[in-house]
Amino acid sequence: MKLSDGAVGKSYSVKNIDLSLKVKRRLEILGMTGNASVDVLNSKKSGTKIIKVRGTRFALGKSFAEGIEVEEI
Amino acid sequence: MRNEINVAFTGNPNCGKTTLFNAYTGANLKVANWPGVTVEKKEGAMRYHDKQYRLVDLPGTYSLTSYTMEERLARQYILDDEVDVIIDVADASALERNLYLTIQLIELGKPVVLALNMMDIVEERGMEIDLHRLPEMLGIPVVPVCARRRTGLNVLMHAVEHHEVKVADRIEHHHTSGSHEHDHHGEYAMVYSDELEDKIDKISELLEIKYPQLENLRWHAIKMLEADEEICGKYPLNLSGIADRSYEEDIINQRYDFIEEIVREVLVNKDEKSRTTDKADQILTHRIWGLPIFFGIMAAVFFLTFTIGDWLKGYFELALEWFSGVATVFLIGVDAGEILSSLIVDGIIAGVGGVLTFLPNIFILFMALALLEDSGYMSRVAYVMDGIMSKIGLSGRAFIPMLLGFGCTVPAVMASRALENRGDRMRTIMVTPFMSCSARLPVYVLLSEMFFGDAALIAAYSMYVIGVVVAIVVAKLLSVFSKGEEEENTLLIELPEYKTPNARTIRIYVWEKIKDYLTKAGTTIFVASIILWALLNFGMSGKVDDMSQSFAAALGRWLAPVMSTAGLGYWQVVVALISGIAAKEVVVSSMSVLYGIGNIASAEGMGALATILQSSGFTAINAYSMMIFCLLYVPCIATIATIRRETNSTGWTLGAVAIQLGTAWLCSTLFYTVATIIF
Repeated sequence: MKLSDGAVGKSYSVKNIDLSLKVKRRLEILGMTGNASVDVLNSKKSGTKIIKVRGTRFALGKSFAEGIEVEEI
Repeated sequence: MRNEINVAFTGNPNCGKTTLFNAYTGANLKVANWPGVTVEKKEGAMRYHDKQYRLVDLPGTYSLTSYTMEERLARQYILDDEVDVIIDVADASALERNLYLTIQLIELGKPVVLALNMMDIVEERGMEIDLHRLPEMLGIPVVPVCARRRTGLNVLMHAVEHHEVKVADRIEHHHTSGSHEHDHHGEYAMVYSDELEDKIDKISELLEIKYPQLENLRWHAIKMLEADEEICGKYPLNLSGIADRSYEEDIINQRYDFIEEIVREVLVNKDEKSRTTDKADQILTHRIWGLPIFFGIMAAVFFLTFTIGDWLKGYFELALEWFSGVATVFLIGVDAGEILSSLIVDGIIAGVGGVLTFLPNIFILFMALALLEDSGYMSRVAYVMDGIMSKIGLSGRAFIPMLLGFGCTVPAVMASRALENRGDRMRTIMVTPFMSCSARLPVYVLLSEMFFGDAALIAAYSMYVIGVVVAIVVAKLLSVFSKGEEEENTLLIELPEYKTPNARTIRIYVWEKIKDYLTKAGTTIFVASIILWALLNFGMSGKVDDMSQSFAAALGRWLAPVMSTAGLGYWQVVVALISGIAAKEVVVSSMSVLYGIGNIASAEGMGALATILQSSGFTAINAYSMMIFCLLYVPCIATIATIRRETNSTGWTLGAVAIQLGTAWLCSTLFYTVATIIF
């Protein structure tokens, strides 16, 4: 499933990032590497999410969240 | 040997690096720009144990990969021979992410000291960090500090002083296998997989042959495996058979694997509960309430700016009146000429003084912005505003420069640098000047208090709303012409933990802004006041007693017809507006000089001016139209210069000026036309 479909309060594990190389690298450097766990903390109607990766919160826009393939843990 | 030790402060954004830096240097620092770019460079000096240290605050970065201007700068500066010791400031409460930069810094091969900041938060949450094991695993000194409470500062400097002494001769890994021929577990903290280590060693060998003077071969080899453009371009090497693709992803993954290993060993009670931030975010980033709360906060900020600011302003006015009186008596006493007395009292004191009385308003506004930034709320604004901003083709992040624009347009335009994509940046730069900066405040206060009585606050507040609306409309119009891809304006921003704002950080931030304002009053406004005074007091026939015969009046009359559609066809108003291009506050001082009002900010001064204006047919409608024009037209010379520097394009700069003048004329004309029909 995509991270954009993730529910608030649930945790997911990153499987694949299908975004431009530049964005993919930026996300990886911030800790979103393979199998890293991502908590969804908040979500807006527009699709923007607040996530927590490796202890840090990020606001993540819809089109990035749509490019991140995850599995529920 | 140099007698000065150069220390560079690095760290992730929001790690408290600047607070720590300020704790050492205080307000006693040199702020300049990095050569060639407008990224701010802060430098300070200190003595410790009879040695002189030069401290440099580098831009906050997540990594040393050269993706952004800030990262490139930090990397270049550290690689430079000048740096003796690196202080890597890490947020101990987010150790896992912060260690990524630490590992990259260690690989650079320079002495690194890890400052574990925010240890108070770590303790608060019941977490513990094994401070014996961590330096063993990293091979560098680790010092716990708390920048906000100013603890651990001496110990950190002590570690810096002894930077040449290594912590451990041999780095203690969990699993020193030692069976592989390229085993480096004893030498380096970060050891990659056998496959990658083989490649690193092979590239190092090739580099040593081709570039014998090159230091730190290992770091260069790793960068080449990552296919780093800068390093590969600088030291071309044939890597076929060794690295036929970029190994960047593998390298990032393995670094995080190692970090996980560290965190597992040194962090006790990792499942921390950061309840405060989560609770606050439940309210502040609520899907429905988030937006109204943000607007409420901004309304409160402006309310305080106007009410408390005006109350304090009263005392400044009394002081100005007294000073003006004393100066007049003194000038008569020393028998100064009429022209000189007029220049000093009507020109300089009225001009510069009139602007200085608005200092309290500006102080409160900057104080509020500093509080929003230091508490961690500012980045939530990006999340809250993301929905609205995406409708005009920008990311929520673009709203931060716009919000800073309420303070001063110059740093706000610079803050647009945080946007990665050039198209987004340009559009943000184009619309940021529409956000009403603090220099425009004196104009609103003057006009609205003269013409709107009890509704003055609402009239002034409405300017901020109009500014935001115009910015949004113009951004939308500009987005029609640009073909932005969706991915490029997608939001990605760290939301730091909320924290109690630090008094020292706020004090230094506000003092810097106030200093800028005072400098401007002493330079730009001082000179503008003199020029304006000269233009007003001299005409074709030399010194004129009647201002309507002056050079300024001639210029004003020539342009007045263009402005009459907006109800501003008065030569005095036109001259005041032109002089406002030097700095917006000058509009106020010009009005006082033009209409010969000594203390324009006082109740009597305003009353006198209002009477003069009304007798010439200038009513509340004209006043409001003038406020709209002041809100939207070219902010100041400094802004134009900054836009030129940031866009690096004369075309964009001229475009910005044209858009601002055009929008101002159009909006005020539109308002005036409609308002005169209705009322």
